[in-house]
Amino acid sequence: MKRAFSRRDFLNWAGAVGGSTAVYRAAMGIGLLPIAARATPLQLTASGKSKKVLILGAGISGLTSAYELNKQGYEVQVLEASFRAGGRNLTVRNGDRIDETGYPQVCNFDKDPDLYFNCGPARIPGHHVNLLGYCKELGVELEPFINDNRNAWVQDDAMFGGKPIRAREYLNDTRGFVAELMAKSMKPEQIAGPMTQDDWERLREYLKHFGELDPQFRYIGTSRAGLAKHDYTAPEVLKSPLSASELFKSKFMLIMSFGETDDQAAMMMEPVGGMDRIVAGFLRKVGHLVQLESQVQRIRVLPKGVEVTYRRNGEYVTTRADYVLNCIPMHLLAGIEHNFPADYSAGFTAIPRGKLFKIGFQMKQRFWEGEGIYGGISWTLQDIQQIWYPAHGIHRQKGVVLGAYTFDPNAGEKFARLPPAERFKLAIQQGAKIHPDYANHVESGVSIAWHQMNHMLGCAAQWDEALFKQWFARLQKPVGSHYLIGDQVSYHPGWQEGAIASAHHAIGEIDARVRAGGSQVVHS
Amino acid sequence: MRRLFAAFAVIVALAFMVNSAKAGNDFDYCLLCHGANANGNYGIRAPKLSGMEPWYLARQLENFASGARGLPAADVAGHEMRPVALRLKQEGVLEAAVKFIALLDSGRPPATLSGDLAHGKKLYETCAACHGTRGEGNAALQSPALAARSDWYLAAQLANYKAGLRGADERDIYGAQMRAIASTLPDDQAIADVVAYINTLK
Repeated sequence: MKRAFSRRDFLNWAGAVGGSTAVYRAAMGIGLLPIAARATPLQLTASGKSKKVLILGAGISGLTSAYELNKQGYEVQVLEASFRAGGRNLTVRNGDRIDETGYPQVCNFDKDPDLYFNCGPARIPGHHVNLLGYCKELGVELEPFINDNRNAWVQDDAMFGGKPIRAREYLNDTRGFVAELMAKSMKPEQIAGPMTQDDWERLREYLKHFGELDPQFRYIGTSRAGLAKHDYTAPEVLKSPLSASELFKSKFMLIMSFGETDDQAAMMMEPVGGMDRIVAGFLRKVGHLVQLESQVQRIRVLPKGVEVTYRRNGEYVTTRADYVLNCIPMHLLAGIEHNFPADYSAGFTAIPRGKLFKIGFQMKQRFWEGEGIYGGISWTLQDIQQIWYPAHGIHRQKGVVLGAYTFDPNAGEKFARLPPAERFKLAIQQGAKIHPDYANHVESGVSIAWHQMNHMLGCAAQWDEALFKQWFARLQKPVGSHYLIGDQVSYHPGWQEGAIASAHHAIGEIDARVRAGGSQVVHS
Repeated sequence: MRRLFAAFAVIVALAFMVNSAKAGNDFDYCLLCHGANANGNYGIRAPKLSGMEPWYLARQLENFASGARGLPAADVAGHEMRPVALRLKQEGVLEAAVKFIALLDSGRPPATLSGDLAHGKKLYETCAACHGTRGEGNAALQSPALAARSDWYLAAQLANYKAGLRGADERDIYGAQMRAIASTLPDDQAIADVVAYINTLK
């Protein structure tokens, strides 16, 4: 039974990938607001000398905090539960271990700098100024990332009998039809308010260019949808427009504007060699402050400072600090012993955890380039939802393709239930509807079920408007000297920029408190 | 294609070896989901394990590993536990994991449910025959203690039994008994009432 796809589903999808801000923007139609630069640049002025800060979690928010506070002279220690730093910023290559609780895997890609898979964040928009600032400061080299590609495919069993069409065909043929319909049916008297004949002519002219209509306002095809063939020794022949009734059968219309949203539109970037080059950049500066395989078991907020007990090599270790910055996922924090007030800790279980799922396949040859696809995303309404083609390593022999990226938690659970080999089988079956010879190109795979990954057990916190209203201010506010941080405490969950924003907010407050003489402002 | 999947199987098997090689704090995995001292974490629907009888824990791990428990798609939490139990079984450390849990400090978890205690007490008369009047359990009958457990978990399991998500597999003999009893509870309110009463047992 295929579930009806509602507008709400699209908003959920947009939210899953773009964070809840995307939901607001999409829902409220304010996506055209000018891009805001960093509201208040981070300026720490207090000396952290003789102040100890304990940071729980070496994800992007924890590493940002460690880096900045270390510069200010604080004594910094970072406790990380996993065998690796980075949190959900995870890139896997040959030999890397994928620490899923039930189904641990080892990445079996060839040893090659281009053959890696970004399991978590994978793209950076130009307005994520804080993250880009750190890339520059830490010497993390960036290259263009291709997110939106009109030559990629759109596949839906609901249209054209499941046969894939080029994204440019879907987008431009539907636009052409809509423009023709409007141009022909709209009369000046139907429009409220004063409208002169000139206004009317200009609107019709706009529609003509919006849909590329002919002088009689008919849509008879456009080069935007692609040429029938690219033989430049003969006159151009346009593709015939596809059947409008078929095109409108597809719920792809709900995601067709993905590549135009605030966080997803060109120009986007990725670090050369993998997203975890950012983690490596931070670790070059503060790696010596990070202690791995230290799993926090208890947090006690004291009248002055905070006491933390963690397990390391099977032993309990207790330590104290003047301040604690904590980016442990809230749904895991709920299982840790603590003395937080109930109106604070109740928030830990109130925000649902994300269940995004990804697969990466090493392909024997870059067959998609032979189809005119260089980077970008093919979309399907099947469980796998997306196939991404690498923007790096163009024209080399092999490449790593993203073979599934699900936004729908039901699809995420469906894949996560299966052992890895079965996950790959399902993703290959579905991918074959886009690339018929798909199975024969796959050499090896990795799968990431974020809600089953050790020390994570979830992707971005699934905030919605009601939850933000009820919980955000409370969870952002410290309890004594304990601050909750991470993308989970930002209005941009699921993005590294959100993680950095939360860290800057908390360390900005600590800076002010230290400047004020280290007085402990106890919030109850 | 088949050869490819065989290769994946080898990779997974290798991963088991990699992880079991450093057995030091491997069982800290349990605490990740089940919380500090395995006192439970409602945030990810992982129940309190500390204080559970070793024979009961072992049987449930065996059931998860064999698929007698946690197989139906609607049992989302059971699905997350199943591959973990399978791993413990395949690595031959299932008993060691049970011993690890037995060493932890068991505290009384916070009550999260409320209900009609008088009605719950009446309903509990049926339960008491196997689980004891104080919810202390009865090893001879293979009935685990119910007092001082995660109350939301007891309620979720009663609902699972009723819905046939647990106790429906013929290999789960004791689960089948429990399923028959749970099906006499008419609705969610009755479940809340009886669990609220269990919360008062010491």
